[in-house]
Amino acid sequence: MRRLKILKYITLGAFAIIVVRLFFIQIIQHDFWVAKANEQHTLLETITAKRGEIYMMDGDQPTAVVLNQSAYQIIIDPAVTPKDEIKNALEKYAKEYITADLDEVYNTEGLRYYIVAKNVPYTNASKIADEEIKNVWLKEGNKRVYPEGEMGSTILGFVNSDGLGQYGVEGSLNNLLTGKDGLLKSISDVNNVALSIGKDNIKIPAEDGKNVVLSVDRGLEKGVEEVLAEAINSTAATNAAALVMNPRNGEVLAMTALPGYNPGDYGNVKDASVYLNQVTEVPYEPASIFKNFVFSAAINEGKMTADTTYFNTPSTEVDGNTIWNAEQRAKLNNQNLTMRDALYWSLNVGSIQALKFLGDNPNEITAEGRERLYHYYNDKFRLGHATGIELIEAEGFIWDPHAEIYGLNAAYANMTFGQNLSATMIQTATAFSSVVNGGVWRTPSIVKGTLEDDKTIKPLENYEKIEDQILTPETSATMRSLLVNNRSYKARAGIDKPGYDVGGKSGTAQVIVDGAYDESMSNLVGSYIGFVAPSGEMPEYVIMVKMWGEGKALSGGEAQNLFDTLSNYVIDYLKVKPKGV
Amino acid sequence: MNRKHKSDLVILFTTLGLMALGLIVIYAIGPMRANVLNTTYGTDYGPNDFFLGQLRSVALSLVAFFLAFKVIPYKYIQKFAKPLLIFALVLSALLWILSLNHSPIVKCELGECRWFQIGGTSFQPAEILKITLVVYLADFLARKREEGKIGDLKEFWLPLVIVCGLSLGLVVIAQGDLGTGVALMAIIFGMLLIAKVPKWQYLLMLTIVLVGAVGSVALSSHRMERVTAWFTTLTGGESTDSTYHIDNAMLAIGAGGFTGVGIGNSVQATGYLPESINDSVFAIMGETFGFVGLFLVITVFCIMLLRMLKVADHTPDDNNRFLIIGVFSWTLAQVVVNIMAMTALVPVTGITLPLLSYGGTSMIFIAFAIGLVLQLSCYTSREGIKNENISSGGRQRGPHYSSRRRHS
Repeated sequence: MRRLKILKYITLGAFAIIVVRLFFIQIIQHDFWVAKANEQHTLLETITAKRGEIYMMDGDQPTAVVLNQSAYQIIIDPAVTPKDEIKNALEKYAKEYITADLDEVYNTEGLRYYIVAKNVPYTNASKIADEEIKNVWLKEGNKRVYPEGEMGSTILGFVNSDGLGQYGVEGSLNNLLTGKDGLLKSISDVNNVALSIGKDNIKIPAEDGKNVVLSVDRGLEKGVEEVLAEAINSTAATNAAALVMNPRNGEVLAMTALPGYNPGDYGNVKDASVYLNQVTEVPYEPASIFKNFVFSAAINEGKMTADTTYFNTPSTEVDGNTIWNAEQRAKLNNQNLTMRDALYWSLNVGSIQALKFLGDNPNEITAEGRERLYHYYNDKFRLGHATGIELIEAEGFIWDPHAEIYGLNAAYANMTFGQNLSATMIQTATAFSSVVNGGVWRTPSIVKGTLEDDKTIKPLENYEKIEDQILTPETSATMRSLLVNNRSYKARAGIDKPGYDVGGKSGTAQVIVDGAYDESMSNLVGSYIGFVAPSGEMPEYVIMVKMWGEGKALSGGEAQNLFDTLSNYVIDYLKVKPKGV
Repeated sequence: MNRKHKSDLVILFTTLGLMALGLIVIYAIGPMRANVLNTTYGTDYGPNDFFLGQLRSVALSLVAFFLAFKVIPYKYIQKFAKPLLIFALVLSALLWILSLNHSPIVKCELGECRWFQIGGTSFQPAEILKITLVVYLADFLARKREEGKIGDLKEFWLPLVIVCGLSLGLVVIAQGDLGTGVALMAIIFGMLLIAKVPKWQYLLMLTIVLVGAVGSVALSSHRMERVTAWFTTLTGGESTDSTYHIDNAMLAIGAGGFTGVGIGNSVQATGYLPESINDSVFAIMGETFGFVGLFLVITVFCIMLLRMLKVADHTPDDNNRFLIIGVFSWTLAQVVVNIMAMTALVPVTGITLPLLSYGGTSMIFIAFAIGLVLQLSCYTSREGIKNENISSGGRQRGPHYSSRRRHS
């Protein structure tokens, strides 16, 4: 064979092998390689929806109290980015945002794409961008900003580092605020930059979160918090909570618990309990405030009137337990007193008497009495149940009238003055609103709606608003007169301004320590609830306060002083028109 | 010598056609390459830099091509065969010595120092070595044949082994360039085959060199890694960092399918496939033009190579014929090894695809070499070379070869 032919056959042979191989790869294995290519080239990227802002009311105008600010991550490529240049730029413009040790980053072999600063504001980030340092990237993100600092923290909550709303409205309306992330599916290059050449690129735009308008009045909220802070300073209390709502429509105008925290710096707290909304998430025993509810029930059922009398004793026996009146004046003991007096002096024997009246036997607590009280507490006033407000809520506890426990009557006797049960402040204030507003139980609300592009406010869907006439308007009117009577000495003292009807009721609760009521009375929670109305008109505001402190005795009297200040503040701030002016 | 006639138009047009195709492919993927390098290494390439670079290479290659084809008579080059080779060996040796001293005029990539960098331009002395070795061997083999010393231990093998050993040593060991080493071996053994070296000596030498090659691969961890990676890919094993290059070359070719994704639609060129414009350009062409396109490219190379063989077959002058076979072997080796590496038929060696890959020096010298073949194609005779046959003594005449003669 001629040697040139050997070369010819080698050539043809080699090319034949290559063609067969190509046929195998490109035709037979084609689908396999396409699948592999798609797997390698397809970029799935989430388009983050912008979180909605939160507004409070400033008069009748919504004003933003939670905003988003563009913040940037600064990313470098240690293999390319000149160390000295980026180090100088960072120290010059973003020193407080540096999150990485540059020396360490540069000494780590094989490191590419490293985040060296986070949460850098736009102005600082743009200055670094202007330096035009090689392979420095800015990645835009959103930072939640709370320009009012601690103000409203009880209501607002915060957004954690995963972008998840926690506590407050941030938590309860998280889905609405978050919106819906979009999706970008595209063919991308090796650095994950989307290419325009993909035929199946998909882009689902993000639906930004809704801007939410609260019914809370920003100025009032701020003022209430200042009054509370002053009350904590001047009493033994370490904590205080307050709620101002409109009993005519159930809207919350102010809601706070101190101490608060800065939602923008939520990690910096001593005790995570500050995150809890004390008004809606913490059931407690509101004590004598509940006398309003047993009185309302008995009057509404026609079992007694304000002028019905009973024989008041210093104490009474129920199921072998002695229950004492807190007030032991000689002029009250062993006297015939009206129910009005019983409420005025907050006599426990009097409220137990109301329960006896309710059960049709003035001498003892009956099953009918328990059933009727339960019906009012549980079904009508909806105490112990979440109210349906747009916040995270706790339930509470009311004894069943046929509970198989020893001393059920004693428990019910206690329930008439708000012990041996639990309810949250919002439940109590909502029930109280129906007592004074003409007898209508309304679902409370703290959200007016979402702020739409055309500046209108659209009410939230998925929140059922209940309106239930649970008391007759006459019962409500009687109760208002009793509550105003409770504060008659305040009006005489000029604390309650002329031209206004201000009514209220205090409560001092013993606290359960180690499973039993602390009889030493050194650990008390003081509460007060009341309303403000232009004289002779329906109430415009219901105000509830609570003061406490671990190991501290706070009485309803101290809570009452706080209420006095607050009710006047509310009158001044909201310019409730007095009668005849 | 035969009288001069028209050159071989097939070689001429296949060469020009391949250069044009290379230009189109680089035009399509150059911007992606620039983008990847800029974002990954912080370089500052413009979108058309690679196309312009290739355009410059093609222009220079065309100059070299026509110099060899039309201007510089091969017999003058032939006269300087020895000094040219010595010059090339000295350059390679100088590169090696300077690289040991980390000289600034030596450019290294991935730890291998293969380039001189002077001013803005760089060139690879190994490419000069290839062409000068072809010229020298053609001259050497023709002389020895004339003297009847082919196969002589002292007169033939000794100088041959020294020259070839030195060349291979400088390229493979000093520069770590196994790709050029493979091309050099193909050149040497291709030319020896045609130079009537006794069969047993040829086979013995081939065996010795192959054993040596396998040994050098087995002893070098970095080459062994490539072989392992190749074997992994060939047998469908798990992907690793080492198999990344082959995996992505196969992925590009496979994804191309029958007709390809079309010009400018290659995704693998956006950074997934390493060396996409140089050594891996065949894979990008597979993705872009599909089986149909690759089949055409292969056919063009095949036609060009077979045509070179025919020209050699009809070249009566030993020296000229050996040169053509040297260029043929060189081209064949680069084409086949490059494509087989991309299709996982052989391990990746880092060898360019002649006329198509981005890379100045390589294209200029191969264009020059093919230009020489074209020059020599003007001197073919009408019949095959009868006395070339040294083996089993079958047919005497080659296929009828009708080169158009100029009768003047």
